[in-house]
Amino acid sequence: MLTGIDYFVVIAYLVGMALLGLYFRKFVHSSGDYFLAGRTLPFWAIGMSIVATDIGLMDFIGVSGQAYRYGIAVGNFDWIGSVPAMLLGAFIFIPYFWKAGLYTIPEYLGRRYNDYVRTVASLTWIIFFAFDLGIMFWASAVLLKALLGWPIWFSIISTAVVVGLYTIFGGLTAVVMTDVVQMIIMYVGGATLVFLGFYHVGGWSGLSDKIAAMGDAYRNHFELILPANTNTPFPWTGILFGLTFVMANAYMIGNQAIVQRCLAAKSEWDAKASMIWGAFLKMFIPVLVLFPGLIAIVIHPGLEDGDQAFGMLIRTLLPPGLTGLLFAALLAGLMSSIDSILNSTAALWTKDIYEKFIKKQASDRHYLIVGRIATVVLLVFGVITSPVSSFFPGIYVAVQTFLSFFQGPIFSVLLLGMLWPRATQWGGLAGLVGGITVSATLYVFKGSLFTIEDPFLYVSWWSFVAGFIITTVVSLMTTPYPRERLYGLVYRLHEKEQGRSGLRSRFGGVGK
Amino acid sequence: MIRGNGMLNFDWLTGIPMGVAKGVFLALFAVIGLLVLMIPSDYIYEGLENPRWWHNLKLWAIADLVFIFITYYIF
Repeated sequence: MLTGIDYFVVIAYLVGMALLGLYFRKFVHSSGDYFLAGRTLPFWAIGMSIVATDIGLMDFIGVSGQAYRYGIAVGNFDWIGSVPAMLLGAFIFIPYFWKAGLYTIPEYLGRRYNDYVRTVASLTWIIFFAFDLGIMFWASAVLLKALLGWPIWFSIISTAVVVGLYTIFGGLTAVVMTDVVQMIIMYVGGATLVFLGFYHVGGWSGLSDKIAAMGDAYRNHFELILPANTNTPFPWTGILFGLTFVMANAYMIGNQAIVQRCLAAKSEWDAKASMIWGAFLKMFIPVLVLFPGLIAIVIHPGLEDGDQAFGMLIRTLLPPGLTGLLFAALLAGLMSSIDSILNSTAALWTKDIYEKFIKKQASDRHYLIVGRIATVVLLVFGVITSPVSSFFPGIYVAVQTFLSFFQGPIFSVLLLGMLWPRATQWGGLAGLVGGITVSATLYVFKGSLFTIEDPFLYVSWWSFVAGFIITTVVSLMTTPYPRERLYGLVYRLHEKEQGRSGLRSRFGGVGK
Repeated sequence: MIRGNGMLNFDWLTGIPMGVAKGVFLALFAVIGLLVLMIPSDYIYEGLENPRWWHNLKLWAIADLVFIFITYYIF
């Protein structure tokens, strides 16, 4: 349990975040300020915000729990599951999104394909984020109750009030700048625990020797690449095809909560640099969330539930004061994810649905107010729906499954849209809807089609392949947009056309 | 029944030695590095008025890739 100084650290953190976030309200005068921070953000803040948004409270608990059970293979999600995708985003997708002046990723799909594709994509994200918010609130409150003894509703309401205050008034600037501080707190808190853990077990060699001595069950705990027929959820084939080629790209390039801050960069160079800087920072995340699980194997062997490892380690290793710091880090992980979801969902609703279908061409101030109201409604929805998790324990899996239906098809449509000028609006729509249908079918018949229990990596891969093939075939049967219509929406199309026309005019000149 | 042949499960790759599988991952990083080096320099610096050497994002990307290559080489 926490001592007086720990409570002081946690409360100081909460008050500090609220005040810091509220400070940025004076910069919000338009919907562009609210959703895109007036396109003024530097690369370093965006990169740090991406990492803070990506890593939540549940990552500390869940990833260390999986490391306890399966070893370092879970680190694939932050290494190969991030770096290649972030480089692809930095050099191919993000510069075009930024130059197009987009607010949302579905907006790109609308311009590249048509409004049907935009609406399907946007509604999918809105539904996912809205329900994810409630699940996140509840899971975090349960955790805080277990670790701190806080009543469930006290945790939910206090987190919602602090995050809500600065997100509603300060918009994306407040979200990103508080994320910067929250990332630093997460890194310092997590690193402190890992440092003390290593000291306790005799450093890296002490850790690896002791785990190796625990028998065959721990033989693969220091292997990143696991056999295709492994009993863990991380076979190398799934990691390569499902995670690296599909899920990572869909998450880093197609996720509004991640990409929105890149769209708010002050220059195209900052937009690109933010992703590469974020990839660098992200490579240290496994050190913070994975090593505690390995250290706990030595200090607390034989835990029935690996998810207890992180909490046990805190109780064993951290002195008063530092415990408070680590709880502040856990809260930072929670708040940095919630604030991003709130602002991103409000952007999707306001720009893709409200402005498109409910009230076109209203004043900018009107859309700013709508964005703020949407944020309040989402927050209230998240708080009200949070207990649903306790009535339906399967809802977390259900919501994550719902998103995974979408990951492969959305990336296939984004990839072909950006790299293949021949992809047509109807090809994109058919690929998206057909790919989602294939995902759902694979899940329904997963018992017959797959030999591992949770084949989400493989489902992502095959639904991507289905979306890719359907988009290609239907595109070849339908009429494409004129190439001029695709300038700025397809990678280097304009530059290539200019190069060709330059060659033609030179060739013509020689002929004459 | 499709169950058992493991086609969708990639069971047909089970026979590949783990050393080769690791080589596939390392080769992937190397190929990405080569692709990064092939990006035109003017594209890298777009959005900057006075580019300096440290603005070269290819160097940043290569640093990321070296880090992850070493990690996968060791583990």
